[in-house]
Amino acid sequence: MHIPDSFLPLSHALVYWVIALPFIYLSFRWARREMDDMKVPVLAALAAGIFAIQALNIPIGMGTSGHMVGATLVAIIFASPMAGVLVLTLVLLVQGFVFADGGITAMGANILNMGVISGFTGYYAFVTLRKMKLGMKSASFIGAWAGLLISAIAASVQLTVAGLFPLVAGITAMGTYHLVIGFVGEGLITAIAIAAIERSRPDLLENSFLNPEHGGSVA
Amino acid sequence: MNATISGKRNTKFLYAGLVIALVISILAPFLASSDPDGLESAAEGVLGEERMSALEELAPVFESPMPDYSIEGHGKAGEVGAIVIGTLIMLGIGLALGKVMKKR
Repeated sequence: MHIPDSFLPLSHALVYWVIALPFIYLSFRWARREMDDMKVPVLAALAAGIFAIQALNIPIGMGTSGHMVGATLVAIIFASPMAGVLVLTLVLLVQGFVFADGGITAMGANILNMGVISGFTGYYAFVTLRKMKLGMKSASFIGAWAGLLISAIAASVQLTVAGLFPLVAGITAMGTYHLVIGFVGEGLITAIAIAAIERSRPDLLENSFLNPEHGGSVA
Repeated sequence: MNATISGKRNTKFLYAGLVIALVISILAPFLASSDPDGLESAAEGVLGEERMSALEELAPVFESPMPDYSIEGHGKAGEVGAIVIGTLIMLGIGLALGKVMKKR
């Protein structure tokens, strides 16, 4: 759901940059506080992996495809939605400048949607479901799915405000496609990745596994 | 757990993650669907093809070196190359940022 520059008037694009910037700042502050020799390799592996998986568009029928966003997965592993904002900001910077995927002026909106909205929605849905005693895999599946769907609806509303999409038809179309992309591209892959990490490196998930409160603060 | 052991295991995690990322990068040009993504499909639906292609014709704000994950004139090999380069750039940025940011 990378919004290209031609879809957003410059003034709108700037407003989304202004909203996204405090989150980007906080995500860097999170990194300054949390990064150590043990976490740097995990962050680097996730940055590379999320970039690669975003190049893999999965067909969902209806002549449409979609790919994973990954903010929820990163947020669950680091037990902070700020980690998702940071990784998605880096991924979107490289995608925009090197590969013309997603706009440059529209990058603020894309960071807001895929980093902030998808990561926060996904992570806090996951935390809420864990508190309701749902298993790791189910909670991460539903969280990641919800994160993707809500961020797609946010993008649709932004395009309505931009005068491009009719409100209801836009939300219906974006919602329908991303409901399915959220199941296959986001929920399933996130749950599989979490299950794999749970088996091979349960210590990495200790924070989110045992205590959903830990490190889950906004700043 | 002892910090050194955990550090080594995280280096292993990095290698495993990098291998997975590179395998996906190499396979993506062959496996990825070329159908429009959710946003493009939705835009085509609500705007109509004519308005959609008019918007897509607009000159980009910035000339990217490898637009659409491809290297001009190199076909599938160029696409593999582009995505592998991107994955390695991300690895580099991740490591560099982590190094700059990490606690001393």
